[in-house]
Amino acid sequence: MFSQLTLGASLYVGDMLFYAICFLVLMALIAKFAWNPVNAMLKERADRIANDMDSAENARKDAQELAAQRKQELDNSQAEATNIISNAKDSGNKQRGQIISDAQKDAQLLKENAQRDIDQQRDDALKSAKDDVASLSIEIASKLMKKELNSESQKGLIDSYIEGLGKSNESR
Amino acid sequence: MGGNPVATFKFLGLTFSYVNIVSGLLASLVVFLLVFWLSRNLQLKPTGKQNVLEWIMDFTNGIVRGSISGDEASNYGLYAFTLFLFIFVSNQMGLFINIEGPSGDILKSPTADPIVTMTLALMTVMMAHFSGVSKLGFKEYFKSTYLSPFKFWLPISVFEEFTNFLTLGLRLFGNIFAGEMLLKTIGGFAFSHGITTVIFAIPLELLWQGFSVFIGSIQAFVFVTLTTVYISQKVQPEE
Repeated sequence: MFSQLTLGASLYVGDMLFYAICFLVLMALIAKFAWNPVNAMLKERADRIANDMDSAENARKDAQELAAQRKQELDNSQAEATNIISNAKDSGNKQRGQIISDAQKDAQLLKENAQRDIDQQRDDALKSAKDDVASLSIEIASKLMKKELNSESQKGLIDSYIEGLGKSNESR
Repeated sequence: MGGNPVATFKFLGLTFSYVNIVSGLLASLVVFLLVFWLSRNLQLKPTGKQNVLEWIMDFTNGIVRGSISGDEASNYGLYAFTLFLFIFVSNQMGLFINIEGPSGDILKSPTADPIVTMTLALMTVMMAHFSGVSKLGFKEYFKSTYLSPFKFWLPISVFEEFTNFLTLGLRLFGNIFAGEMLLKTIGGFAFSHGITTVIFAIPLELLWQGFSVFIGSIQAFVFVTLTTVYISQKVQPEE
């Protein structure tokens, strides 16, 4: 066992050299085949993650802006709708007033026309009645002249006539 | 081990031991194949084995960041990662594969040999000093490492550098070597007196094996942690 402790003649310098070289070669091989590719991949991954986070941040900002825009638009459209409704109400009210006043005017006009017609017709009727009375009087007078007159029959004639006149007047 | 002679050969005037070279190559191969397999098919969205790899990297990077602050940390991530996996695999290797040939071991934990752990410790210490010089310049490095807090602290500081180096390597060696030794002792005890000792040895072996897995993991973590601490002491002198 103490022959291993290399204090004597058998110092295995060759072993030291061999291990040093072996280790360096191993390190170089690991660097080439594993260390550098893995580190490159890790760097790529870190970049990717950073990019993803940036783009996610951007997307979030965009979404926020869009949401704010939408909200604004919604508010605008609500205001617009209220405006339209109130406008429609106003114009409806106006139209109703117009229609009512028009109708009132029309009714007034119709009433006036009717009144005028009535007056006209009454006048016409009175005029024709006057004509009738005149012609009747003439007829009566002519009949009287033809007939022999006694006071009684005359009286009865006149009464009957007047009665008839009143009737015909009433019937008018 | 246990006093067995170690088979060696000479090449270019340097002495090599078979067991260390075979074990070290195997450990490196296991680490490389594991990492290679885990790192195939990398995807942005990690799945299955990629998660495991990223978890290990995250773990070792966490150790580095625990001691070295700021952007300095990224320079030592790969070293900590490789060191951790190599020591971890080496520590566990001897626990389930331990082949003893007629002329000594053929396969064991590389980290159960002081020459290996001291090599790793030497690499760490050299790297720490080199980083200090290249970061602060030689003058600042010398001042912050050896002349603080007082000028006459110099001998103690120099001594401390040596103890750091020794304890870093020998702590790992001691833990793993002791684990293997006891496993072998229990194994020897199991077959010493027939079936009765086997029955007694099985739970003991099981217990110690589990404990050794734990120790091996902890020692890999401790080694890497101390490595980063030593580096940070050289790179970022305390205010």
